[in-house]
Amino acid sequence: MESLLQHLDRFSELLAVSRTAHVRTWDPVTVRRALQWARYLRHIHRRFGRHGPIRTALERRLHNQWRQEGGFGRGPVPGLANFQALGHGDVLLSLRLLENQALGDAARHHLVQQLFPGPGVPDADEETLQESLARLARCGSAVHMLRFNGYRKNLNLQEDSLMKTQAELLLERLQEVGKAEAEGPSRFLSRLWERLPQNNFLKVIAVALLQPPLSPRPQEESEPSIHKTPGEGSQALVHWLLGNSEVFAAFCRALPAGLLTLVTSRHPALSPVYLGLLTDWGQRLHYDLQKGIWVGTESQDVPWEELHNRFQSLCQAPPPLKDKVLTALETCKAQDGDFEVPGLSIWTDLLLALRSGAFRKRQVLGLSPGLSSV
Amino acid sequence: MAQDSVDLSCDYQFWMQKLSVWDQASTLETQQDTCVHLARFQEFLRKMYEALKEMDSNTIFERFPTIDQLLAKACWNPFILAYDESQKILIWCLCCLINKEPQNSRQSKLNSWVQGVLSHILSALRFDKEVALFTQGLGYAPIDYYPGLLKNMVLSLASELRENHLNGFNTQRRMTPERLASLSRVCVPLITLPDVDPLVEALLVCHGHEPQEILQPEFFEAVNEAILLKKISLPMSAVVCLWLRHLPSLEKAMLHLFEKLISSERNCLRRIECFIKDSLLPQAACHPAIFRVVDEMFRCALLETDGAPEIIATIQVFTQCFLEALEKENKQLRFALKTYFPYTSPSLAMVLLQDPQDVPRGRWLQTLKHISELLREAVEDQTHGSRGGPLESWFLFIRFGGWAEMVAEQLLRSAAEPPAALLWLLAFYYSPRDGRQQRAQTMVQVKAVLGHLLAMSRSSSLSAWDLQTAAGQDTDTDPRAPAQQLIRHLLLHFVLWAPGGHTIARDVVTLVSPWGPASEYSPGMSSPW
Repeated sequence: MESLLQHLDRFSELLAVSRTAHVRTWDPVTVRRALQWARYLRHIHRRFGRHGPIRTALERRLHNQWRQEGGFGRGPVPGLANFQALGHGDVLLSLRLLENQALGDAARHHLVQQLFPGPGVPDADEETLQESLARLARCGSAVHMLRFNGYRKNLNLQEDSLMKTQAELLLERLQEVGKAEAEGPSRFLSRLWERLPQNNFLKVIAVALLQPPLSPRPQEESEPSIHKTPGEGSQALVHWLLGNSEVFAAFCRALPAGLLTLVTSRHPALSPVYLGLLTDWGQRLHYDLQKGIWVGTESQDVPWEELHNRFQSLCQAPPPLKDKVLTALETCKAQDGDFEVPGLSIWTDLLLALRSGAFRKRQVLGLSPGLSSV
Repeated sequence: MAQDSVDLSCDYQFWMQKLSVWDQASTLETQQDTCVHLARFQEFLRKMYEALKEMDSNTIFERFPTIDQLLAKACWNPFILAYDESQKILIWCLCCLINKEPQNSRQSKLNSWVQGVLSHILSALRFDKEVALFTQGLGYAPIDYYPGLLKNMVLSLASELRENHLNGFNTQRRMTPERLASLSRVCVPLITLPDVDPLVEALLVCHGHEPQEILQPEFFEAVNEAILLKKISLPMSAVVCLWLRHLPSLEKAMLHLFEKLISSERNCLRRIECFIKDSLLPQAACHPAIFRVVDEMFRCALLETDGAPEIIATIQVFTQCFLEALEKENKQLRFALKTYFPYTSPSLAMVLLQDPQDVPRGRWLQTLKHISELLREAVEDQTHGSRGGPLESWFLFIRFGGWAEMVAEQLLRSAAEPPAALLWLLAFYYSPRDGRQQRAQTMVQVKAVLGHLLAMSRSSSLSAWDLQTAAGQDTDTDPRAPAQQLIRHLLLHFVLWAPGGHTIARDVVTLVSPWGPASEYSPGMSSPW
């Protein structure tokens, strides 16, 4: 067991080094040995992927490594991403070496020979490295062709395949990091927030929060106990959002109303904060007598239309949320003086607009204008 | 060898030109043209690799100075990279260009260039900067997530197709015909990639609302090819849709079956059954339109071969499989019998379609007489203008071999005077086109043979020779003439049923085999002859 763990350590180092200029010193023998190790670990992954104790031990070792680096992804070069990566560690290593300009001619020539030996007897048991690489190339072409010839961005972001894939990856990573250390996910998310394009990140978070409970990844064999805690990634996300007000403000600002409504319905913990934000935004607006509309004082203030939009969307949500929203609006209106006349309190005006909007909607739908809950 | 290399040079020029025109296959025409040539190009690549692997880098460039351009153009065409094993063979070819020990800067540059192209092929083309940054930020490499991404894209497209199919009235979310056609083109190189199966299935099953066919014929051909070669596994509903939408595919499937039957050497019934079931045609034939096409092709085969017994045997096995498949179909969705046999009288169809084994022994004579009556009526009654006349009825009758067997058995087992109706049936079975006189003659011949056989069945010892003489088998007459076939059939039946017949079975078979005494034929296999 210990030798296995050492193998893992050494391979992680190897993987990290394979991206750096150190490979200049590698000769063909080193290359061959590296690939052998990769193949060995791939074999281990196949044999023990389902075996609870061994898998757990290997994962724990990886998590230790991350902790030593100060958290996942903190190290100078990315190492092994997770246990699944062992299943294609040879591909990872091969690609890194291939792309590394520093590799010497002799070593490179040997590498290419090892990777692409030519037509031969296919291994009945396992897919050869050559086959894996060919399949990756084929898969990549497939994605490329579908992307440019069939794919159309889905306006419901949570159903868009690109968004969904990113969200699935995020959730998976969060679950891994959460297993390594308790505070891991929050720190990790904060680091991502600093590094990644923020607009896209926010969208991915929203989509991630709307995903159904995590199912096993395509390549992974289904295990009964190990990865089956659904919602952990989501919980980490919610926790982080609640703990970072500026991020949450950006989140609520950047995303469309409908999406936010869905997210808040699904994760009730977010609704008080969301409503709080909306209330703040509303209070920043004042009534312009000349124009007859509510306006903000600064350019970054949320305009009336958007505010109205969001509240309207929230009022179309199913009961617990919808009622909370209305109660909040009524409370604000009461605090402001409980006016019925427009132009004095933004909350009155909002409620009026929402009611008439709802009335019109009922008319359009042919419903009776009788009992209205608004 | 020299001829090969000349061929290769010619091919080289041809493909170089094609690749230049195709470029990155971004237009409809280039995509269509690429799809049509994918298989042949792959063959060319294989031949090139065989040639290149014998040479070193310098020699290669002397022989094919523009090889680097050819390979590069191929690598930048995503359709080629996506097809079957082309990407692998391209990589092998590229590897042949590498100099193990570069002597000068030109060779070093070449090595770097090859490495760059290899990386391009394997780096799984990045298209979305944001997605790439995101996944990198999370610590994932393309190998980690590309399969998942492909799966999501495929499922999303498949569900969009299904929605389009069910939701035709909502024109806003309709898939435009151009997009559908484009999707079908893109699938052509990907047919054998299992991850793409749901999309292929959806394209086949969801036919949208346009009156004319939108999907590219190359797509149907590629799917059909993959089905016939067992390189893809699709649900039956998708296969049926394919054959309904694209007639050439159905015809090709039938021809493929015929080829298999012809090329395989000694076909016992069990193997025929295997081939037929394997072809998925019996299940598909539960749909009347497909049944009619299959029927038509069997008819043609029969007419072309002048009623060859092998074809008849195949038809009988097929009908058997078809009826089994029909039985398994959902009762509510089953079509009426009339749709399968529109030109037959319903009473005749019904009576023939029952399983002979369901008829109790005591009712055999009655049932057979009834069949004979109905058939005779259909055959001899020309006034109703029934299509095809006697051949139509015959075609229906021969489908169900069990009845002819039953007639033979009934005739041989009963000591009574053979009824004319049954004799007529047998004569009709083996020779539908006979005129009244000819048929009457055959009936007399058969009656005589039966008489002899019955007499012999009472004697204590039997010899194959005696049997043959009794049957009036002559080496002069054509063994494949219908009357001879009939008599042979009766002999074989006799040998199977008569007490003591088993002892001379082998001899009899050898003597009467249509291929002469030297052939091996083991009795005990149920066969029409």
